[in-house]
Amino acid sequence: MELKSRSDTEELPQITVVSRAEAVRSKLIDTFSLIDHLRGLSQAVPRHNLREFLDPSRQRKLMQGDHHQLVRFSVRPTHDRILYGQRQQCRLRVRYNRWAPISLWAGWVLERPFFTNLIIFLIFLNTILLMIEIELVNTKDVKMLPVMLALEVASWFMLLIFILEILLMWLYNFFLFWKSAWNIFDLFVTILSVLPEVVVLSGVSTEALWLQLLRICRVLRSLKLFTRFGQIRVIILALVRALKTMTFLLVLLLIFFYIFALTGIYFFENYTRSDIQDLEYQTYFVDMPNSLVTVFILFTLDHWYALLQDAWRVPGLSKTFSSIYVILWLLLGSIIFRNIIVAMMVTNFQAIRSELWEEATHLAVQHKADIFKRQIIKSRRHHQRDGKAGSKGSGTIHVIPNTSHQFPNPPVSDMTYPENVTKTTVPKDAPSAQENLLSADSPGLVDWETHVHQNLPGLMEMDQDERVVWPRDSLFRYFELLEKLQYNIEERKQLQDFAVKALINLEDN
Amino acid sequence: MDRLPMVFSREHVKEISSSILNLSSPGLWSKIVNFRRKDTEFCEYVKRFIEGHFFSLLMISTISSNALCMVLETYYEIKSNMFLMFEVVEVIFTSIYWFEFYIKLYVDPIGYWKNGYNLLNVVILIIISVPFYMWKLYGRHYQYLNIGEGIQSLRILKLIPYSRGIRTLITALGQTIYTVASVMTLLFLLMFIFAILGFCLFGSSDGGDVNNWGNLAAAFFTLFSLTTVDGWTDLQQDLDEREFTLSRAFTIFFILLGSFVFLSMFVGVMIIHTEDSIKKFEKELANERHIAVLQEKQNILRKQQAEVNRLMQKGKKSEFQTFSELVEGFKKTLRHTDPMVLEDFCTTLPFIDIYLSTLDNQDNTIVKYSYHRKRD
Repeated sequence: MELKSRSDTEELPQITVVSRAEAVRSKLIDTFSLIDHLRGLSQAVPRHNLREFLDPSRQRKLMQGDHHQLVRFSVRPTHDRILYGQRQQCRLRVRYNRWAPISLWAGWVLERPFFTNLIIFLIFLNTILLMIEIELVNTKDVKMLPVMLALEVASWFMLLIFILEILLMWLYNFFLFWKSAWNIFDLFVTILSVLPEVVVLSGVSTEALWLQLLRICRVLRSLKLFTRFGQIRVIILALVRALKTMTFLLVLLLIFFYIFALTGIYFFENYTRSDIQDLEYQTYFVDMPNSLVTVFILFTLDHWYALLQDAWRVPGLSKTFSSIYVILWLLLGSIIFRNIIVAMMVTNFQAIRSELWEEATHLAVQHKADIFKRQIIKSRRHHQRDGKAGSKGSGTIHVIPNTSHQFPNPPVSDMTYPENVTKTTVPKDAPSAQENLLSADSPGLVDWETHVHQNLPGLMEMDQDERVVWPRDSLFRYFELLEKLQYNIEERKQLQDFAVKALINLEDN
Repeated sequence: MDRLPMVFSREHVKEISSSILNLSSPGLWSKIVNFRRKDTEFCEYVKRFIEGHFFSLLMISTISSNALCMVLETYYEIKSNMFLMFEVVEVIFTSIYWFEFYIKLYVDPIGYWKNGYNLLNVVILIIISVPFYMWKLYGRHYQYLNIGEGIQSLRILKLIPYSRGIRTLITALGQTIYTVASVMTLLFLLMFIFAILGFCLFGSSDGGDVNNWGNLAAAFFTLFSLTTVDGWTDLQQDLDEREFTLSRAFTIFFILLGSFVFLSMFVGVMIIHTEDSIKKFEKELANERHIAVLQEKQNILRKQQAEVNRLMQKGKKSEFQTFSELVEGFKKTLRHTDPMVLEDFCTTLPFIDIYLSTLDNQDNTIVKYSYHRKRD
């Protein structure tokens, strides 16, 4: 194999550089780190993969051994998913554990539907009882006393259960608890509920105002409901993300608020200082905070015409400028900006929904890739078996149906379909059997190349730890042969072009 | 050097026109046409200063403190106590704004006017000088003085060019301007038709509702009030008192058309455009990233090739003709029992299977094709 020479003095034959062959050669150089080797820099070859290095037990073994080992870095985007196999191994480990697995029991309890429904029911009950208690809080009726006592007891009981739930979550996995914002929110709300009682018990007087306020925080317990329902979680997540992307829009809106508030103060100066009695909205533009609130009121399109008509009653105010001000702000702020905000929310929600869909479709694509892989392996096996039997000679010509490009049949029939066809195939010459097989493998209606192209990306990103062990010299030979194959294919393509041209010339003459 | 013929030909043409226009000399014209800056180094220095961090920091802090000062000026007590300080600060701010204008103009006199944000700066400078001239020309008690002071609040718009996020937002929104303008025009037309109709129906000076429908401006306001459905029940009550027959149908029909249909259409149109522009933006980003990645790969390939070539050149002394001979020595060190664990896709069995099957398939197709042709 020859390379393109740079110097003009040497007499190396120049050939066209085939890009795929280039890629294969560069892969070879990369895998064996030939450049370092040829420069004489290092004689070692990376013998370990990144995954071995990151695995803590293996890393310890490595560090105890030779420190000068090289590690090969291969960057592949992996999806963080727990495989079923990992789960089973974990179960095995837990089963043979010396100490009782309390964390496992806690996890089991937390995931029971009975438990989650109980918590939801208790939250609802808490809200209702709180409402009843507020109604009765100031009554002096003696007969109501047992009712109030019962309400108090129920409230304490529910608080206890919420604390218990948090303890269970801590038992299950303490560090994972803090990673989720929902759990921190739960903890915060529960502590807010507990705090007044604890403070009362430790002797502070019950008349302090902030204590009363803290008791009211009990109502926040109903907010715990938000974390339970999946739909609400999705909506809140989408909302937070939408707000994050809209920060600049909100900044722009704030700038406009500022502009119109300041301008309003100056434009309506005569209105603010006028001596006419019964002006309804006279304090609306008196200083900056009021002006900001007024601008917000105009933003929500509330009583703008009444404000304008009231302002017109003052003789010194120029009608044109004030009406220009109000109309401009209505158009710009309330109509245009609000619709821009709506539009951005809609696009954000769509983006978030498509992201959530991507998770689901990823699994589907993986499934298809799996099936594709099985088909290929089967086809190779049959091909090898038939290839030994007959030879490639003349045979009946079948054109592989290139009809339509519908989707393959559902997976189940895919698996059985090739088997049926191979059983009923009459043993013919090799090419026709092979064609039959190939047409049977392509599930019905799609030709081979399209099928491959459809499934190849899924195959390339398969999740499983697909690691192949090669002997070193075979790997080197494989890369060399692959490169030679690329050059041969290129040459063959040229020859075929010539053949086709010759045939066409033959026909023309 | 090669500009000389052009100068001559231009001179030739300009000879005729200048003789018509009676310019002083052809030399002056060629000097104007061929004007090249002689102070390029200083110009470069100033340009770097403008694009540096210090300048933008200076401008941002100036504009923010100016905004804060303007807010404080609205409080009468503060203003009367610290009047002198406000005056001094005002002079400082104005001088900084003029300095920015002159320095940017100096760097690029002709290209300055092509940038929209620079035009905004010029407009704001004009606005800043408005109260001063009002005061000079009309005296202290001019009735429109507060208007002039009011529009000073636009100074904060100078902040926009210094923030990249807002700039991208505005360019994205700017593309929706045409749609917005067309919807607004449509709405205006609709209101115009209904205003004339309402004036004729309800605004006649005897027995009609002169307040709300008396003249065109009032009719427009009333209709705008109906479009934004704020306080329209009061207006409708006014009409009801005078017992017009069609008034309710008129109002309800207009509210349906103007508020429900038009404003919702507005929302829909904006949603479509925002989606389009965001998708375009993201596609551009993805394309850029893709191209950058491809470039990187090409670079790495090229560097590798260069390295190998260099090694081959070095090894010319020992007569290495081809790559395979170069690595001959390396190959000898490879042993069969050494395992290499790879995760790349191109060394996995499915890849080999797929590749060889595809090649076989291609072979078959070619064979069939040639048989086909032979037959015919």
